[in-house]
Amino acid sequence: MYDSKVGNKRRLVSRLLSCVFGSCRGEIMDEIFKQTLLYDFYGELLTEHQKSVYEDFIFQDLSLSEIASLRGISRQGVFDLLHRINKSLENYEEKLHLVERFLLLKKDVTAIEAELTRLKASDPDADVSEMEQIITHMREMI
Amino acid sequence: MAVKIRLKRMGQKKSPFYRVVVADERAPRDGRFIEEIGYYNPNVDPSEIKFNAEAAKKWLSTGAQPTETVAKLLKIAGIEK
Repeated sequence: MYDSKVGNKRRLVSRLLSCVFGSCRGEIMDEIFKQTLLYDFYGELLTEHQKSVYEDFIFQDLSLSEIASLRGISRQGVFDLLHRINKSLENYEEKLHLVERFLLLKKDVTAIEAELTRLKASDPDADVSEMEQIITHMREMI
Repeated sequence: MAVKIRLKRMGQKKSPFYRVVVADERAPRDGRFIEEIGYYNPNVDPSEIKFNAEAAKKWLSTGAQPTETVAKLLKIAGIEK
């Protein structure tokens, strides 16, 4: 999957992400899903203050000025803060690729499941209970 | 009363989905909302966007302000005032 010739790793990652995020429509919607997943994976690495600002932004969908007035800071301050948080989350992803791996695995498990459903349909006597258990287990693990 | 139409994150860790809710502008973050008018589920392929079109139109025509993300969803769903 990796092409060592591609120097710009960030571009590669974003291309990969956009292929696994292919289900999303439109850039903004893409963006919020991506940011939420990055936060779910790496949020614990942020400071409490960063966490609360970011949660207001992506979980509550508050605007920059709303976040600013809730905290008595400037809108520009919130903008900078969010920008820095996005940067550090993307930086973690660039090094660890947890979100990318998660999405690819999820896609694979869904494909296996579809395959199994097809198998069950073509052969009603097939014993698939163990495979189903493994799939459930995998879903819990990823 | 000024109201906004926002997203509200639901769902477990790593599988987020969003409700589209109508909420009082002056009480962000307290979790209360007036009405749920739709949802956005990005976990499935293709992502699912559902609106109660009647309610959405009613709120938009009474001046409820959608956030940028909600405006985008409404556009995808083909809902206008």
